[in-house]
Amino acid sequence: MLGKFERFNHRLSGWCEWLGIVAMLLMMVITCIDVVGAKVFKWPLLGALDIVMLSQIVAISFAASVTLIAGRHIQVEFLFNLLPRRARAVINSTVLLLGLGLFILIIWRLCVLGYAFQTSGEYSPTAYIPLYPFAYAIALASIPVCLVLLLEFLKSLTKRGQQ
Amino acid sequence: MSPATAGIIGIIFLVVLFLLRMPVAFAMALVGFGGFAYLTSPEAALGLLGRDIFDQFSSYPLSVIPMFILMGTFAFASGISQRLYRTAYAWIGHRRGGLTVATVFACAGFGAICGSSTATAATMGKIALPEMKKYNYDDTLASGTVAAAGTLGILIPPSTVLIVYGILTEQSIGKLFVAGVLPGIILSIFFAATVALLCWRNPAIGPPGTPSSWREKWEALTGIVEAFLLFLLAIGGLFLGWFSPTQAGAIGAGGALVIGLTRRQLSWETFIEACKDGLRTSCMVIFIITGAVIFGHFMAVSRIPFMLAEWLGGLPIHPMAVMAVIAFIYFIGGFFMDAMGLIVVTIPIFFPIVEKLGFDPIWFGVIIVLVGEMGVITPPVGVNVFVIKGIAPDIPLENIFRGILPFLVALILFTALLMVFPQIATFLPSLVSY
Repeated sequence: MLGKFERFNHRLSGWCEWLGIVAMLLMMVITCIDVVGAKVFKWPLLGALDIVMLSQIVAISFAASVTLIAGRHIQVEFLFNLLPRRARAVINSTVLLLGLGLFILIIWRLCVLGYAFQTSGEYSPTAYIPLYPFAYAIALASIPVCLVLLLEFLKSLTKRGQQ
Repeated sequence: MSPATAGIIGIIFLVVLFLLRMPVAFAMALVGFGGFAYLTSPEAALGLLGRDIFDQFSSYPLSVIPMFILMGTFAFASGISQRLYRTAYAWIGHRRGGLTVATVFACAGFGAICGSSTATAATMGKIALPEMKKYNYDDTLASGTVAAAGTLGILIPPSTVLIVYGILTEQSIGKLFVAGVLPGIILSIFFAATVALLCWRNPAIGPPGTPSSWREKWEALTGIVEAFLLFLLAIGGLFLGWFSPTQAGAIGAGGALVIGLTRRQLSWETFIEACKDGLRTSCMVIFIITGAVIFGHFMAVSRIPFMLAEWLGGLPIHPMAVMAVIAFIYFIGGFFMDAMGLIVVTIPIFFPIVEKLGFDPIWFGVIIVLVGEMGVITPPVGVNVFVIKGIAPDIPLENIFRGILPFLVALILFTALLMVFPQIATFLPSLVSY
């Protein structure tokens, strides 16, 4: 059961990562076009800054779950590894629950922020792109993070149960 | 409970979460959110959480991070590092300890287009270690050199750590980059001198390689032309004020991509791998900055940094003694935490002190990068050491750590030199006005 859940998480995070890659490459391409346009043709790309800012939201938020799966976040490992296995399992479960709680809060608050943007009609400064879909996008991209943390929590419970 | 007491409890709680292996970014966000909720109100903290995340993720100044990280990953995928090493090898590989000196200068060269010490050590380790093994170089010297010289990646511009420091302290990234140039060159010379000294004492540890003909030497020079041009275009353009930092990074990334395509080194698979690596690293860095911003809000309402700055500023001791204590704290902290994490966590606390004592923030940025470099190569969390161990599993970990010791001494001596002569870091930035 957990194996299926893990495969689903990996696949979902993989799709999200592709979105992130496209957004990151868009940031690079748009900036290059803007620079060449402004310096060579004296014709900067209108709204380039806005597109870069909003693409960054997509790139970073949709890469969050795969970054977590790949273990790329900085962690202090040295003391944890010295603890007995049982203590490690208990601590691991607690830390994962705290992380899960944090990301549930994040989803909630980004939905609230998105709704506030939607009702007040907030737009980006130059290209006037509505901001609310991007707040919702961060909330949406945080769901796979919650799933990864939930899976790890369930796995840690199983390991403890086996002991 | 007073705000200061709540702040101290928050810091203790943060350290506990770190020790329990919670990712640094998550721990800072959680403690920052909880502390801010306690000192202001839960409603204010909830509002701040969503707003901070949206503001940081959409921050244009932060977009410099993915761009320079992408430049480094594309440069690696384009084989620039291999050609840099081949050039250094052709010119100095035939001398005693020449391959290790070549490794140091190739690391410095790669550091000029890649802003990560781990990436520099990993890249050069894969290329240089097999060569040094072929010529019977001592394992301890070879592995220690690559791990230590890899740290040049975060000092020589572009540097991800200096970018993050610049963003958190609102300093000019251009000036910080310029400030890293002279220290980077001098530290490379220090490392090369360390190798020369070790090989002079014991010639058996670094036997000479095969000499190259003058024709081979000149031909090898063409291998660094592209790296030089890329540096000149991206970093030079930034120094001259042609580009903003984000634009410089994007042009650098685009340039590295074009080099890889024209050299036919970049396959679809390596391109995707480079993109994935760049995206994941960028995500980690931006998350950690977001965590630091949330934690910074908590620290600001607790008033701890300002009280600490007032107290230290009023002590009847020389400001340089305070600076030495701060550097020592970074040195000890580096034993347990990655340079980036350490700097992000401590900047909200130490930066007001540095400002209060009247130190140049640009110089301080270079100092903490140097001390952070020490953390990258010292146990138990010497990331570069583990990277080298991963590349050369047959070299015992203790040999790599032993190999690093002479370079650590060189790094400490150079940091002391920079404290005595801050002009090494501040001279070049004083020439630029942006």
